[in-house]
Amino acid sequence: MSLILALIRRDLMLSIRQGGGVGTALGFFLTVVVLLPIGIGPDQALLARIAPGALWIALLLSVLLSADRIFQQDYEDGSLDIMTMGPVPFEMVALAKAVAHWLSTSLPLAIAAPILGFLVNLEAAAVLPLTLAMALGSIALSFLASIGAAVTVGLRRGGLLVSVLVLPLYVPVLIFGLSASDPGAAPGLTFAALLILAAIALVSLVLSPLAAAAALRAYLR
Amino acid sequence: MDFAAAHAGFVIAAYGLSLVVLGGLSAHILLRDRRLRAAARRLDGERGDTRA
Amino acid sequence: MTMQYLANPTRFLRLANALLPYLWALTAGLLVIGLYGALVSSPPDYQQGETVRIMYVHVPAAWMALFVYSVMALASAAALIFRHPLADVAAKTAAPLGAAFCFLALATGSLWGKPMWGAWWVWDARLTSMFVLMLLYLGYMAIWAAIEEPHRAAMVARIVALVGFINVPIVKFSVDWWNSLHQPASVFRMDGPTIAAPMLWPLLVMGLAYTFLFLSLHLVAMRAEIAARKIRQIQIAEIGER
Repeated sequence: MSLILALIRRDLMLSIRQGGGVGTALGFFLTVVVLLPIGIGPDQALLARIAPGALWIALLLSVLLSADRIFQQDYEDGSLDIMTMGPVPFEMVALAKAVAHWLSTSLPLAIAAPILGFLVNLEAAAVLPLTLAMALGSIALSFLASIGAAVTVGLRRGGLLVSVLVLPLYVPVLIFGLSASDPGAAPGLTFAALLILAAIALVSLVLSPLAAAAALRAYLR
Repeated sequence: MDFAAAHAGFVIAAYGLSLVVLGGLSAHILLRDRRLRAAARRLDGERGDTRA
Repeated sequence: MTMQYLANPTRFLRLANALLPYLWALTAGLLVIGLYGALVSSPPDYQQGETVRIMYVHVPAAWMALFVYSVMALASAAALIFRHPLADVAAKTAAPLGAAFCFLALATGSLWGKPMWGAWWVWDARLTSMFVLMLLYLGYMAIWAAIEEPHRAAMVARIVALVGFINVPIVKFSVDWWNSLHQPASVFRMDGPTIAAPMLWPLLVMGLAYTFLFLSLHLVAMRAEIAARKIRQIQIAEIGER
């Protein structure tokens, strides 16, 4: 367990020192959120209506964009190879790396998004439900992205392929995430959507490391 | 079917597309199969000769 | 390794070659009967008129799109668990077929939707699910194309197929639930028992015809893939011998 925590800490340290990952993701997120109102026009009522969806999409794309960081470097410099032979089960390695990605990228973005919601005229009542839904959903986003990252780790131009592979997995997260973010919906429905988001998060937490580890092993043989 | 009915063009397009796609797919698969099996047979024959 | 691989395919090939003539015959016969039912004997719809005939090519295509993905997932699971060499071949060759059926389902659905709903596309439950399925097919095929080493490609492809298969019911569930909150523009309600008999039997016959078409094409594609692998092995062996 302490080894797993050490792995998480290592990945977090690396991402902080290199600065690339979170910065790129945040930058992309800001770009989308700033360009959107410019592109849609001055209709504030319209912006307010689409704000939750727009923020969710920006979050999704930002997480997707930063996904290849999860395994790429360690794959290229051989560290991943060494990790397969270490005392930690390889599935736990995949789990640790996904957790590190979540802590360093997805969760910060999920918390920042509703705060930045004013840029797209997000109504005040929606901020709290959005924060909650996004924080929960961000777990699924990171873990599902780790599957895509693992499947394409050895490919030269895996970027496009990651999107095609992870997008179908993101659709349910987006759908339930939107349901959970709607401040006008009946509280029963919002709660149900949150529960389902939590369920998706838990399932992805368990299954993603299995799938990612299996895919990585194919590249490391 | 009444070919003069309203929207008949959509029906024809749907059936035509299905025919083209499934027919093209079938042709591609059958031709590829024929080509590959012939090549495999040829290579097998060559190997048999060089070995003997 | 070579002998072990060649042993199994021979049995399969013998079975496939024996079955294929019958499968093709059934396909052709069922298609003729089905098309007659679809275009001639079945009546136009009370409300939709002749456009309801698109159902006879749209619904079977959609059925096949889902069925073939299940075949792909099953074969991938068999490859993962039993490591049967033909399982990967079965999955790999099924994908383009399923993708073609999925494309047809989407396209004929659009052609049906325009006269019926007035829109080429709406993001309702079924359409979104089928769109996601199309993405799953494309992603799977892209993996085989992107990874050069066949064994590695097979290993990764299995995972992609299985992860996608888990996602299919989740997507269906999520979009159904989503649409119950946001009323869709129109809901097409059609379940087996509520279709009149003159329309039901051509639909079922076309469904069977499409199924036998898939089975025939799948066996042929597997046969071709086995030949391709044999060619590759011979070429590799020859390089080794020199």
